[in-house]
Amino acid sequence: MTMLTLASGQPDILQEIFFGAKPAPSEAAAWSDGLFLMITWFSIICFVILMALMVYFVIKYRRRPGVPAQQSPHHNLLIEILWTVVPSSSMLVMFIYGFQGYAAKMVMPDDAMELRIQGSKWAWIATYPNGATSPEMQAISKVTLDDATSTTVTQGKQYPIFYVPEGTDIKLRMYSIDVIHSFWIPEFRTKMDVVPNRYTGFGFSTPKLTVNDSFVHQETGELMYGRDMWIFCAEYCGDDHSRMAATLRIVPQEIYDQKMKDWAEVLPPKEAGEKIWKQICASCHQIDGTRLVGPTWNSVENADGQFGYGYDAALEDGTSVLRDENYYRESILDPNAKVVKGFAPAMASYQGILTDEDINNVIAFIQSLSDRNPNAGEETETNTEAESDTEPGSDS
Amino acid sequence: MSTPDTHAGYHDEGSYLSGPPGMVARIWQWASTVDHKKIGVMYLFAVLFMFFLGGMSAIAVRYELLDPIRTVTTEALVGDEIVTTTVTTGESLKELLGVVGIGDDLTGSQIYNRAFTLHGAIMVFMFIIPAIPAALGNFFLPIMLGAKDVAFPRLNLMSWYIYLFGCTFGISSILLGGVDTGWTFYTPYSTTADADHWRVVLMVMAAFILGFSSILTGLNFVVTVHKLRAPGMGWFDMPLMIWALYATSIIQVLATPVIGITLLLLMFERLFHIGIFDPSMGGDPVLYQHFFWFYSHPVVYVMILPGMGIISEVLAVHARKHIFGYRAIAFSSLGIAGVSFLVWGHHIFTAMGELAAILFSGLTFLVAIPTAIKMFNWIATLYKSSIVINTPMMYSLMFLFTFAIGGLTGLPLATLATDLHLHDSYYVVAHFHYVMMGGTVIAFMSGLHHWWPKMFGKMYNEKGAMLAMVIVFIGFNLTFFTQFFLGTQGMPRRYANYVDEFQFLHQVSSVGALLLLVGFLIHAAVFIFSLLWGEKAPANPWGGLTLEWECESPPIEHNFHKEPILTHGPYDFDTVLPPHCDLKDYPLPENPGKH
Repeated sequence: MTMLTLASGQPDILQEIFFGAKPAPSEAAAWSDGLFLMITWFSIICFVILMALMVYFVIKYRRRPGVPAQQSPHHNLLIEILWTVVPSSSMLVMFIYGFQGYAAKMVMPDDAMELRIQGSKWAWIATYPNGATSPEMQAISKVTLDDATSTTVTQGKQYPIFYVPEGTDIKLRMYSIDVIHSFWIPEFRTKMDVVPNRYTGFGFSTPKLTVNDSFVHQETGELMYGRDMWIFCAEYCGDDHSRMAATLRIVPQEIYDQKMKDWAEVLPPKEAGEKIWKQICASCHQIDGTRLVGPTWNSVENADGQFGYGYDAALEDGTSVLRDENYYRESILDPNAKVVKGFAPAMASYQGILTDEDINNVIAFIQSLSDRNPNAGEETETNTEAESDTEPGSDS
Repeated sequence: MSTPDTHAGYHDEGSYLSGPPGMVARIWQWASTVDHKKIGVMYLFAVLFMFFLGGMSAIAVRYELLDPIRTVTTEALVGDEIVTTTVTTGESLKELLGVVGIGDDLTGSQIYNRAFTLHGAIMVFMFIIPAIPAALGNFFLPIMLGAKDVAFPRLNLMSWYIYLFGCTFGISSILLGGVDTGWTFYTPYSTTADADHWRVVLMVMAAFILGFSSILTGLNFVVTVHKLRAPGMGWFDMPLMIWALYATSIIQVLATPVIGITLLLLMFERLFHIGIFDPSMGGDPVLYQHFFWFYSHPVVYVMILPGMGIISEVLAVHARKHIFGYRAIAFSSLGIAGVSFLVWGHHIFTAMGELAAILFSGLTFLVAIPTAIKMFNWIATLYKSSIVINTPMMYSLMFLFTFAIGGLTGLPLATLATDLHLHDSYYVVAHFHYVMMGGTVIAFMSGLHHWWPKMFGKMYNEKGAMLAMVIVFIGFNLTFFTQFFLGTQGMPRRYANYVDEFQFLHQVSSVGALLLLVGFLIHAAVFIFSLLWGEKAPANPWGGLTLEWECESPPIEHNFHKEPILTHGPYDFDTVLPPHCDLKDYPLPENPGKH
C-alpha cells in the first residue's frame, strides 16, 4: 500500500498525462491510479530494454557482404528460465494488488448510503433513500460565445444532476429496464454494467470538499461551491449511446439535505408528469413539435401528421384512434399495440416501472400540452409557467 | 498421398499462374480450381478488398470524430420579437452522406453507429480471421511441408465458396441499410432493437456462415500437417509458421462451432422469441456474452498466432539465424492455444460475479507468459545474426515494437482494479488495435512482402514499399497511441459524440488514420506496379532454407518437380547453402557448431 499511495500522493508527470491534473477523489481511485502507474513504469522499463536490444542488434549485426553470421547458441536454459520466472512473478504481484484494489472499489461499509440507479435508453435516474429523484438538469457543456446576440453553444442534451454529500460512503444498486448499460464515473475510476432483471453495483467514497472545489451553474453562470463529475454510459446501447450522460455533483451536507427536503415534496400532477418526462421520456418525445424516435406530445400538425391530446392518431395499419386517456395509458404499458404511422415500434413497456400515479401525472402533463386540454380552465397559471419552462432549444 | 489431378494434360510443369487461352476458360479454370495456390491467391485479393472496405469505414469513423456534435443557439432581436435559431454542427458523416443523398432519415449518431459496426464486423469476420491462414497459409502450408496440395483440395475450394457466400450476406446487410449492434451483437440490444430486424439477422447469418469456412480450412490444415509432411520432416523439423498455423487450426476447429450455436440461438431469439437471452422472457443477457467470448477470445489467437508464425520465418531468413529457442516458440504456440480457452471472462469483468472475476484475472495473466517468451526469443534470435534491412524485415521489427506495446498495455486490463476504469474505454480500443493491427496486420504486411516474389514471380519496388512502411508506422502510432490517453481520461468507446476536452487527441488520431490510408494506398500502388512491370523474381531472393524456396517463382502447378526429401532443418543457416543461391552471397562460417 505504501508504494501505491506514494505514486499517487505526489502526482508525477505520468499521472498527469494519463489522468489529468486533478488528484484522484477517493482512496480507492488513488490506489487504482498508483497500481496503473506501477504497471506502466514496469512496462516502460521492459519496453525500453527490449527495443534498445533490438536496435543495438540491428545496428551491430547488420549484414556485410561476404561476412557470415557469427555462431550463437540455439538455446540457453538459464536465461530461458530467468525470462519465464521474472515476468511470472511480476504478474503475480499485479494480480494480487489488482484483487485488493478491486475489493476496495466493490465493497462498502454496511452503513453506506444506497443510491438506486436506473438505466434506460438513453437516460439515467438516481433514486435517493427518501424516494426522491433529481429534477435538475444541465447540458454537457454550455458556452456563451456572444453576449450581445446571446449565441450559445451547447453539447448533448439536458442531463440529470445527481447530488451527493461530501465525505460520504455511497453504494450503488443499479438495474436496467431495457438493454445493458454501464455506469461509469471516470473520476472514481470505476464502472459496472447495468443489466436488466438483476441488480449490480459498486461503491465510492466522496471526498471532503476543499476551497478550490467549484463549479459554474449553467443557467445563472454563478460560481458555486461543490465538485462536478461526469457520468457516462460505457456499454453500447443504441442510437443515443453517446448522449447517455449525467453529472455527479458533490456538495456540502447541508445543501444535500435541503435538496432532499425540496425534492421529496409532492408536486401537482402536471409538474410531477413534467419531471417524469424530463427524466425518462424526453430522449424520444419532444414537446415542441420536433420529431425524435417517437412522436411529439404537443398539439401540432406537421408533415408527419396531427399530434396532441384530443386529436386522432393515424396508425400504421391505416386505421385511426383518438388520443385519449386510455390511448396514452395503453401506449405506456403496451407501446407496440398502436404505433403511429411513420414511427418505428421502438419503445419498451413501462409496466412495473411507472406506477399508476406516475402514469396519471404523465397524462396530466400531456393534456396540458394540447389546445384541447380538459383541465385548461382550472390550471391556467401553471400552464403558462410550464410552457415558458420548456422553451424549444433548452433541449437539443 | 494423392491429389485429384483435374488439370492433367496441360501445363503440368508450367507456372501455376499460366492457364488456357481465352478469358472464359481462364475464369473457369480459377473458379473451379482445387489448387491450393490459386485458392490462396483468390483469398488474398478477397481479404485485401475487405481490408479496404473495413479501412474506409474506419476512416468514416475517424472523420465523424473530428468534431463533437454541438448545438449553436442564437437569439436575435428582430423588431420587438426574439427569434431563436438553432443549428447543429459536427455531424460530419451525415453532412457528407447528405451530399450524395443517403441517410437523410438517420441521425448523425445512427450513421456513426452503423459505420463502426461495419468496421468491426468486416475487419473481424471477413478480413483478419481469414487473412493469414486462408490466404498466405493456403498458399504456403502445403509447400512448406513439401506437399503437392492440402489433404482435401475439394474441401478447400468449398471453404472458399462458403467464405464468398458469407461475405455476400454481410455486404447485403450493409447495402440494405446497415446494422448498428456493434460486431459483438450483445443481447438484449441485438434481439430487441426493432429498426434493424432483418439486417441484424443477415449480419449474424454472415458470421455464422463464415464460421464454417473457418472450420473447414482449419480441419484441412490439421490433417495436412499430420499426413503430408515431406519424407524426413519430423514435427520439430517443421518451420515455425507451420506450428503457428497448426495451433490456429486447432482453435478454429474447437471454438468456431460454439459461436455457430450461439449465433443460431441469437437468430432464433430474434425471429421466434424463444427467450434464451432476453430477460423479459426469462432469459439471461449475460449468458450470451459468455457464449460469445468463449469463441471470440480464442479467436483473438486465431488472428495473432499466424502472425507470430510469419515473424519467426521472416526474422530467421532476413537475419540468417536459427530461431533462438525453437521448441519454446513451438510449445508456446500450443500453450497459448490451450490457455486461450480459459480466459474469455476477462471481456466481461464488469458483468460477472466477484469470484469469477478474480479467477479469470489470474488465468488471463497466465496467457501473457508464453507471449512474453516468444517476444524474448525473437529479440534473442537477432543476437550475432546478419541483418538485412528490407521491407519484410522492417515490418517484422515494427511488429516487435507495436506488438510489445499491445502486449504490455494489456497488463492493466488483466488487473482487476484498473480494468474497472479502463474497460469499454478508448484505452481498450487502443490496446486491441496495437495487438490486432500492430500485431496481425503488420505481420501480414511483413509476410506479404516476404512471399510476394514467390507467389507472383515478380519483385516489388523496394524504395516504394519502404516509404509506405514508414508512413504506416507513423500513421499507426499517431492514430492509436493517442487513444490510450483518451481512455484513461474517461472517453468511452463507441461514442459518436464527446466532451470538448477530448477534441485535440481525437483530431490527432484522425490525422494518423489519414496517414495510414495514404501508406496503404502507396503499398497497393507498389503491388500493382510489381504485377504489371515488376522485375522477374529469382527462385530464392532472400536465401531462405524452407521448402518453398526450393520451388520456382512462381511455383509450378504441383509445386515440386519431384517429391522433396528433407535433409536439413528450416533454420540451419550455419551449415547449409540456401537452394538456388551462391556461396558468395550467403557465405558459411568456417567452424560450424562452435560459438
